[in-house]
Amino acid sequence: MELRINEQMHRIDQEWKAESLLFFMREALGLCGAKYGCGVGLCGACTVLVDGEATRSCMTPVASMIGKAITTIEGLSKPDARLHPVQQAWLDESVAQCGYCQSGQIMATVALLRKTPNPSDADITQALDGQLCRCGTYDRIRRAVRRASEATR
Amino acid sequence: MKRRGFLAASGALTVSFLAGCGSLPVIPKRPKPNAADALSWIRFENTRYTLFVPRVEMGQNIATALKQIAGDELGVDWALLDVKLHDTRSIGRVRATVGSESIKDFAVPLAQACATLRDALARRERTGNLTVIERPFSELRAFAPRTRYVGQRTDIEQSMAIVRGLPLYASDVRRESMLYGRVLRAPVSPELVSRPVTWNSEAAKKLPGFVAIVEHVLLQQGASLGLGIVASTPGALDRIEAALAIKWHTEGTFSQQTIDAGIDVDRRISGGALSHHVINNAIEPPTQWDVDLRIDVPLAAHAPIEPRAAVAEMDQTGALHMWVGSQDVFYQRDVIAKRLSIAIEKVIVHGQRVGGAFGGKTICTVELEAAVLATQIKRAVKVQWTRAQEFGFAFHRPPSSHRIRANVVDGKIDQWWHSFVSSHILFTNAVLPQWIQRFTDYIGDDGVARGATLAYNARKKRTEFDLQRVPVFTGPWRGLGAGPNLLAIESAIDECARAAKIDPVTFRINNVSDARLARAVAKVAEASRKQPMARASDARFKRGRGVACGIYKSMSYAAVIAEVETEVTSGKTRLVKLWCSHDCGKIVNPDQVRAQCEGNIVWGIGMVFSDRLPIENSHVAARTFLDAPIPKMSDMPALEILLIDEGEPPTGAGETVIVAAAGAIANAIREATGVRINRFPLDPQLLRA
Ligand code: FES
Ligand code: FES
Repeated sequence: MELRINEQMHRIDQEWKAESLLFFMREALGLCGAKYGCGVGLCGACTVLVDGEATRSCMTPVASMIGKAITTIEGLSKPDARLHPVQQAWLDESVAQCGYCQSGQIMATVALLRKTPNPSDADITQALDGQLCRCGTYDRIRRAVRRASEATR
Repeated sequence: MKRRGFLAASGALTVSFLAGCGSLPVIPKRPKPNAADALSWIRFENTRYTLFVPRVEMGQNIATALKQIAGDELGVDWALLDVKLHDTRSIGRVRATVGSESIKDFAVPLAQACATLRDALARRERTGNLTVIERPFSELRAFAPRTRYVGQRTDIEQSMAIVRGLPLYASDVRRESMLYGRVLRAPVSPELVSRPVTWNSEAAKKLPGFVAIVEHVLLQQGASLGLGIVASTPGALDRIEAALAIKWHTEGTFSQQTIDAGIDVDRRISGGALSHHVINNAIEPPTQWDVDLRIDVPLAAHAPIEPRAAVAEMDQTGALHMWVGSQDVFYQRDVIAKRLSIAIEKVIVHGQRVGGAFGGKTICTVELEAAVLATQIKRAVKVQWTRAQEFGFAFHRPPSSHRIRANVVDGKIDQWWHSFVSSHILFTNAVLPQWIQRFTDYIGDDGVARGATLAYNARKKRTEFDLQRVPVFTGPWRGLGAGPNLLAIESAIDECARAAKIDPVTFRINNVSDARLARAVAKVAEASRKQPMARASDARFKRGRGVACGIYKSMSYAAVIAEVETEVTSGKTRLVKLWCSHDCGKIVNPDQVRAQCEGNIVWGIGMVFSDRLPIENSHVAARTFLDAPIPKMSDMPALEILLIDEGEPPTGAGETVIVAAAGAIANAIREATGVRINRFPLDPQLLRA
């Protein structure tokens, strides 16, 4: 059993086969960008892309992911290369406070801009309304989405 | 009431009746930072400087602000200055990161230490220890009129790691052959005595990933004795928990009504005078009060997106290493060392970036659980609370109940009488047993009183409160008492303005007792006037604007104006726009002060529309964000934030706007609909026409 994450194949050892994608990535592989916030699909901190779709990895059994292409925040850009436009927009707008929710926010935004490169305010709210941020960075997230959208156009 | 801090108050208690008792709670130490301590925060080695941030980083981005100060004082390039979070060995003890005091109290000592280091390097001293020679504030370069970093927007420390998803938080820590732990507790408030009685070990042992069941007296939190489980993968913990099917022994019960009755202010008032006074002028009751208002604010969660987490590991030398996401790294060390009877120098606590805390990550909970499990199993163990554990076992914002009576003569407040009941904040029941609280109750609770001092002139003022232990844990929540107290006060001030038939902005400017507060109100009013209120789109909607203002900890000032639109048929209210003015004296990083204003505004939105934890079956009934929602992007209005900086000494920004955001929204709803919200969060049904 192997999983394709960020263009790399990863073996799933027996003991991890019954785990969620989130725990497998974080604990078995050390890809800890996606976070645990609620475990039941209600906060979005664990959001990754599965075949390009924003997906809550806390609710996704690792075994159901065979044959899919998973992208995490670590796979958005190479460590020494330029940032993905969404990452860059997040820096330019100084979005993060505690930062814990932001990997999920960024991944949900990447998924949004793939489908809707020029989103309206309503599109942004609809795509990100389930991505909770207790620090209250929503205004900046919105600005960063717009900035990233302009940069990718 | 005298202003006394936790340490002073409890320090006295320690001497008088706590001495020599082994199982007593560990009280956090609150040393005042000085320049000599600050020398341990800054080091020079091989052409580079390292700043050990003496504060916990939890999103206030204090690491960045202190780096700005160090950079200017040292006169060095941003790129030569490395920033590290502290552990209990890298710097001397510092107090908890609470109360928006990191700039006010740590900036100057840091600058003094940096100046000393800079001068030593200029003398070509390269090694050895230095002694600080304190210089006058006016000679510190970080606070000079022209600076390279202070006062500017800068790159944010750790933000690159955040956007790349690199490990920063306690929950991200991984150690060699690490295991995963959880401490299961009876589904009742930890204020009630409970313990596991029977459980099905056989069923649990058969499960893949099972490692151990840990019974240990130290797995106690409050009156709840837990049962530890350890697994080789985190997901196995859920399966083991289900298979164990633990039967619990619990003692006592309570309901929502128990709590509501306990803090019901009118019941207290009918029983006579309240015990604690913020100010105590003799009131001359008029035949009728112009304003007589009851405001109730419920129990509410911090709901940081990171549930608390800790990793513990014993090394070969017998030292216990802890990685924590806590507001007080040294307190964690003290508690773990005492509880586990390990020498204090053998407990090394590494502070990690905290995924939101808001006052809630100040005591030792998950850290002790991880330490016990790791030392029992003799492997590294990570424990991260589930969301349900966060709601069920953490402490929360106390419920409070307020009665405010006032009368107005000639546009001025004549008499003001604010009575309220709350459960404890600084002397939290999550740490202190009831018998100790009986002593602390003589002192009061400065956390509960925070923000209750009226910032308006009145001929007679009386502000008094009672403390009531409730059967759920309550403690510090962003701004402590200031959020609820000012929500109540600013609601009543608005009614005073109505009674005086003066518009609420003018009424405030005329009556506030502090010129800086008046300035904040004037500025925000001026900004909002530039954009006159649009008419409601049609007759189905009503619009209104409201204002509120306040002073935080006698140091920082905020005023907010909110515009709302309420749908008449449903009572649904939408925030259209919020204007906010903020004055924390000299600003180190304007963009980040703004960020703190934005965050507090969102907290104000939560206070009005959603913050509440329901109680059922002697327990906080919330298990998920569905049961205890927090604001979402769709709740956000347009924002306009004005920073006021007229060169006064720097204070703090982390909690200030909590004093005004909720009040402005409530007052805007009053203006739009005629309905004064007496009970938070708002029930939209009440606004239906
Ligand atoms: S952790 Fe997956 S949605 Fe909250
Ligand atoms: S930045 Fe802290 S939760 Fe979003």
